[in-house]
Amino acid sequence: MDDLNVKNPPALKQFIPTPPRPPRQSKSGIFGTIRQRCFNSIGNSVLTLCVVAVLFYLVKHVLDWAVFNAVFIADNRRQCMDISPDGACWAGVISWFNGLIYGRFPVDEQWRVNVGVLLGLVWLLPLMSKRIPLRNVILLSWIGLYPFVGAYLFLGGRFGAELGWIHGVMTCLALAFLTIIYVNWILSALGKKGLNELFVPLVSRFVERRIHLLSFVAVWLLIALVMALVLNQVSLEPVAIERWGGLFLTFIIASFAITMAIPIGVVLALGRRSKLPVIHWLSMTVIELVRSVPLITVLFMAVTLLPIFLPADVEFNKLAQVLVAVCIFAGAYMAENIRGGLQAIPKGQYEAAATLGLGYLHTMALIILPQALRMMIPNIMTSFISLLKDTTLVSIIGLFDIMLMARNIANDKDWVGMHTEPLVMISVLFFLFCYSMSQYSLTLEKRLKVDR
Amino acid sequence: MMTSSGHLATKNTTNTAIKIDKLNKWYGDHHVLKDVSLDISEGEIMVVCGPSGSGKSTLIRSLNHLEDYQEGVVSVFGQPLSRDRQSHKIIHQTMGMVFQNFNLFPHLTVLQNCTLGLTWLRKMSERDADKMAMRLLDRVGIAQLATRYPGQLSGGQQQRVAISRSLAMEPKIMLFDEPTSALDPEMVKEVLDVMIDLAKTGMTMVCVTHEMQFAKQVADRVVFMADGEIIEVGPPEQVLVNPQWDRTKEFLQHVL
Repeated sequence: MDDLNVKNPPALKQFIPTPPRPPRQSKSGIFGTIRQRCFNSIGNSVLTLCVVAVLFYLVKHVLDWAVFNAVFIADNRRQCMDISPDGACWAGVISWFNGLIYGRFPVDEQWRVNVGVLLGLVWLLPLMSKRIPLRNVILLSWIGLYPFVGAYLFLGGRFGAELGWIHGVMTCLALAFLTIIYVNWILSALGKKGLNELFVPLVSRFVERRIHLLSFVAVWLLIALVMALVLNQVSLEPVAIERWGGLFLTFIIASFAITMAIPIGVVLALGRRSKLPVIHWLSMTVIELVRSVPLITVLFMAVTLLPIFLPADVEFNKLAQVLVAVCIFAGAYMAENIRGGLQAIPKGQYEAAATLGLGYLHTMALIILPQALRMMIPNIMTSFISLLKDTTLVSIIGLFDIMLMARNIANDKDWVGMHTEPLVMISVLFFLFCYSMSQYSLTLEKRLKVDR
Repeated sequence: MMTSSGHLATKNTTNTAIKIDKLNKWYGDHHVLKDVSLDISEGEIMVVCGPSGSGKSTLIRSLNHLEDYQEGVVSVFGQPLSRDRQSHKIIHQTMGMVFQNFNLFPHLTVLQNCTLGLTWLRKMSERDADKMAMRLLDRVGIAQLATRYPGQLSGGQQQRVAISRSLAMEPKIMLFDEPTSALDPEMVKEVLDVMIDLAKTGMTMVCVTHEMQFAKQVADRVVFMADGEIIEVGPPEQVLVNPQWDRTKEFLQHVL
């Protein structure tokens, strides 16, 4: 303020900051550090030696069993035992490896599973790049359209015969969308206009508003038509859902549950915070009911109870029932995670949004949920990881997921009684997936932290 | 009480921007606003001061319905407000608000904070919205920080962003709820300077503040509140220099 700006008397000394100096570096090197930390007293030295001995003993035994004494090539379990009685018999796992991954999917058609999974990953790839615009749309298109492509590849069949018309049309639209994403990506890298701008001059002749949207729709439909003509000539061998299995099935259930958990969770969480009593009590009932029941019972109920409530002529396959059950289960847990995030948002954010004139939906979608979800990334990822592991429970109701396939190895007449190795194998696989998920969540957290 | 003498507007403006008529509010049994009446003319700078707990924040937050009140009527440009959609529309079209804690959206950049309302509510094209927001950010002197996130700014800069965010919606009345109370002393001036500039443009402003220097410099009238009542209203030289009531004098001795 004015009265604070008194003129400085000329005699004041001038302040010069002391130049910064680097922190002291440790010069002792690795060996010095070890000696300092682990052998700095007699007690610590003894402790260090004991820990090293125990570690050595454990690692040696694990390695002996899993690698040095293990048998990798054998025809059956008896041969394994003859070659090395106290080592792992990986030969059994290797000969069943295909089954662990693809279940009972026909071997000649397994390329379709690979292509389908690859397509799903390729669809999500653009999300990694920060330079690509409208990434939310790409994510939404993945959620809304990819399942049709996946189901087409996994189920097979001809258009209009085994494959319903709606499913066929959606598949073509999905493939066309994916094409546009990638062609646009390449074109923008070359510095050219996107594919969707192709019809802008034509469209602008007929309409004045929403030219770009209409042009995009026109291009999309055209490519979809081409896709339809091509796919009409192709006929994929139909594969029954009952033959899906292994890691492939585990992935389908887990990724379905993971993608549906967030929307269901958001709706339930917002419902629970709603001031309207009916919505509030309904959401709360669903959340509390589902959360206080084990997943196993939810699965059993879905398979045995659901058909009782449905009309007799509606026939659901077991997988669909399981998917519905897992989604509701995951959604209820997610709702509580998201509610935690919502509660952490300060009241001022709502007030600021209100004074700008934003309504409920805008406030939630633009201000509150982005912050709440970001804040809850660690919890959400924890839920996802436990969800991935929980999907192995579907083996109990007779879906041939990776767990049931692994236990089936012990029933094979060549590998009778082989329980340990397949379970170890599955543990390693699950560890790889879950660990990379948690690592991904860490990088995601770091990337989004910039805004704070 | 003393309120009637305060109704004389010191400016000879014709329009009443806000008319507050016998506002009463209770938190449970606690009577926080007691028959508060006040007219604010268009273009007037009104500073509300008083000890904490006197109801000044509640009063200003009642104006744009951030707080409910049980009795009384607030009219904006002659339109009495109620709880319906129409009233909400009037509030959002006429009033902007700046908070003590800035309340910027931490997940959006400075520029996005300012353009949010324009693109989603006014349906303005991104380019026009950016242009308008940049003009406002330039006016408050932080155009170079447009791509930063609020967390990377100092308090004073954040508050200036908050002011431009409100101004982007082109309000006719700006409400300031203790805009400098959460700031370090060194940053108070930069925010007050922006507010002084804004006052010169003829904006109607209602400011709850403890900055008595600011009140003396720019306020047309000062309202002194205590215990949920308006005790004195008048031009700053009257209320701040020659208060009529002992309560006002006591307060001023503490702040000045």
